[in-house]
Amino acid sequence: MAENILELCNITKTFGNLIAVDNVDFTLKEGEVHAILGENGAGKSTLMHLIYGLYQPTSGSIRVAGKPKIFKTPRDAIANGIGMVHQHFMLIENLTVAENIALSVVHRRVREGQALALRVKRGSVRDFYPAVREGQALALREPQGGEEHRGTQVREGQALALRTQGFQFKKADAVKTTEALSEKFGLAVDANALVGTLSVGLKQRVEILKALAGDARILILDEPTAVLSPQEVDGFFTILRNLQADNRSILFISHKMNEVLQISDRLTVLRRGKNVYEGDTGELTARELAREMLGEEVREVVREERKPAPEKVLHVSELSVRGSRDELAVADVSLTTHRGEIVGIAGVDGNGQRELAEAIMGLRETSDASTVEILGKAPRGTKATRLLGVGYIPEDRQTLGLIPSFSVAENLELSVLHLKQYGWLLPQKKRKETALRLIDDYDVRPPNPQLDAGALSGGNQQKVVLAREMSPEPELLIAVNPTRGLDISAARYVHQNLLAQRNRGKSVLLISTELDEVLQLADRLYVMTNGKLHEATSHRNDIEALGLLMTGGST
Amino acid sequence: MIKRWLGMPALILISAFATNGIIMLVCGYNPLEAYAAALGGAFGNGRKLGETLVKSTPFLMAGLSVAVAFRCGIWNIGAEGQFLIGALAATWFGTKLAPFFPAIPWIAVPLCLCLAALAGGIWALMPAFLKVTRGVNEVISTIMLNYVAIYLVSFMVDSGPLQEVSQRGPQSDRLVEWVFLPRLFPPHRIHLGIVIAIVLAAILTFILFRTTFGYQLRAVGAGAAAAEAAGISIVQNTLRVFFISGALAGLGGAIELMALTRRLFLNFSPGYGYTAIAVALLAKLHPLVTMAAALLFGALTTGSYAMQRSVGISDKVTLVMQATILLAVLGYGSAKFLKDSTIRKQ
Repeated sequence: MAENILELCNITKTFGNLIAVDNVDFTLKEGEVHAILGENGAGKSTLMHLIYGLYQPTSGSIRVAGKPKIFKTPRDAIANGIGMVHQHFMLIENLTVAENIALSVVHRRVREGQALALRVKRGSVRDFYPAVREGQALALREPQGGEEHRGTQVREGQALALRTQGFQFKKADAVKTTEALSEKFGLAVDANALVGTLSVGLKQRVEILKALAGDARILILDEPTAVLSPQEVDGFFTILRNLQADNRSILFISHKMNEVLQISDRLTVLRRGKNVYEGDTGELTARELAREMLGEEVREVVREERKPAPEKVLHVSELSVRGSRDELAVADVSLTTHRGEIVGIAGVDGNGQRELAEAIMGLRETSDASTVEILGKAPRGTKATRLLGVGYIPEDRQTLGLIPSFSVAENLELSVLHLKQYGWLLPQKKRKETALRLIDDYDVRPPNPQLDAGALSGGNQQKVVLAREMSPEPELLIAVNPTRGLDISAARYVHQNLLAQRNRGKSVLLISTELDEVLQLADRLYVMTNGKLHEATSHRNDIEALGLLMTGGST
Repeated sequence: MIKRWLGMPALILISAFATNGIIMLVCGYNPLEAYAAALGGAFGNGRKLGETLVKSTPFLMAGLSVAVAFRCGIWNIGAEGQFLIGALAATWFGTKLAPFFPAIPWIAVPLCLCLAALAGGIWALMPAFLKVTRGVNEVISTIMLNYVAIYLVSFMVDSGPLQEVSQRGPQSDRLVEWVFLPRLFPPHRIHLGIVIAIVLAAILTFILFRTTFGYQLRAVGAGAAAAEAAGISIVQNTLRVFFISGALAGLGGAIELMALTRRLFLNFSPGYGYTAIAVALLAKLHPLVTMAAALLFGALTTGSYAMQRSVGISDKVTLVMQATILLAVLGYGSAKFLKDSTIRKQ
């Protein structure tokens, strides 16, 4: 196939001590669909953001169509024909489809027009049109820099020509442009519909149209199928094929193995920021790819086998929960944990883990058939659940785990269980001592209990949540991604602590996207995909089978 | 710490006074002379200071009401209405019920105050219920209820059931003497209500920052989702905040009535409940600091009388002054605060 339209050479990106992308080489060919596979935190999104100009590489170089480029902002990337569709749509809900698309174009034109007007130095609007004509003439004049250069000049000339009419917004034109685009690529969407009324799949089309309206030659799609229903996925694949037929290149991030195998021409696997595999689709089987994705890790914490006590601590049956988009986020889940047992749930983000945890904590409405029993009782509401002695480390520490404007000390007592122990007065001396002790135990930095929690770094905020929820040794601990954002030594401390609680007869439900963590700690193991729970204890030594379960394949 | 607390209000006051000085200069008055007169009028001697305290009390009570609500994440703009409803309840008790009571102030006065607080609290529970059951924004509902309260008062005292028996003017009868709030140094107007307000400010500070009850109120205000995950009930605490806030404002209305005016009339409140928002924001929503802010607004009132007497500046200047302070508060102080809290709400 054709030439390399995008080349990354020795790209490294660090955030503080964290190496998010580690010396990655990568090429994208013209007209191919290229999939990026990897676990959460493998560096996929960071890599895409580097290409799209949201981040700048710490070292290494990026070439677009053979020419070295540095993108300081997404604007630069767009100007070079790179478009990105984010997982969270950037659309204005109460404008129509055509207006949304026109907005991105008009916006760009105005900026370009301003820049041009400045360049002409006279600065007044009246001089703008002569400048544009000049620009057109310039573009059409005999090219000086060979074939490549000619292409850009012609495109620039076209843009300039468009600009002369594009200064005032004409709704009819916007509709026409939108319809032309949507017809060309088979992206059927009603140009006059309000974006807010569209389904998720259609919104995604609008996003793609927006990128195409910006004349994107390279389209980056961040987990495009995560939000789509199976029927919509088929339609989406047709769109990709149409784009490919127009010789556009597509880079897409996915966790779903079968989709990747179905649609991509080539694929790249990232693990811990490194490019561990790049090749044509079909070279490796799904099992082999899963192995590349997950790797084989040295297990650091030793879990001795123990028989859990027969007593049930958490008993969930037929639990169904609707998510924020009214989709069935948790589908008919049954689950039991016992004393002295860690039950692990592995899985890729967004498969219903968050909703499951929140439903157990009484924070979400559940279907009528659902039952959640804790220590033989069915608590109603979060307060009752907490008072039974349940600790909860939520996925979202910023809004669910902490109050940023409260001090660290105040956040360390943010649970009805603590408050109940206090009685009606806050015991000044005791709370200060407790705060200092926990800050010391969990190594919260800076060690100042009076500091606003919002001023701490993400990892230290997580430590505050962990200290609060784990230190009282709850009968049941619901831990969602407990070590996210922690460095290795802090994570190991948490792992040891979880095991110690288990050995003392407490029960832990560990929900994590880190497969290693679950494998290291859990006595029994499940994988959650699409809201369903799959028993996976028997696959504990078969990492390929686990990978397949996590990516929605069957074993 | 102290520097952080004082820095912003000082800046706000300096710019407000400077702006106002320019306005006076433009109008042909000497601002220094005027401010000197105002200062003398507000704090010149014990009697004047006492009068300033008297004028500060409604600002303090309504200011506490607003400070507690805002601090707990409830944007109660309804202090004005709650203030009036408190006064209305006290009027009803003091003119219709108390005559049948034994003439013992020690029983009648506390009873009347409690009734007023209860009335203000229940009035505030209306928007609270709308908020927790239907998600109605309390800014809108409390503002609308202010008008309901204002017109309810005018109906009651103007040809309504609480109008004076002689039906001469749009006002109620005088309260019976045994529900008067006692004056501390008669004939001066300094009254027991001032003490009550100061004690309440201290108690509120204690409750908010030293008890688990207050902790929960603040937690729901500062981070509702996190509070809920911690097992703290949002509904319960929202209702509590509304009730406390309304009760404080209602009590303020009753104190003003029972200590000073002793009868209810049209325009009983010159907008105390609205000015209280400026008072509370200037105090950074801290009950103890609200005392200082209320004193400032009281001093502006008494000071403006003095300016009028000795320099001839209209007392409308007070309103301009209040407005400039409010604008300065919005400009400097609360801009960041408001921004933070909206982000948190989302």
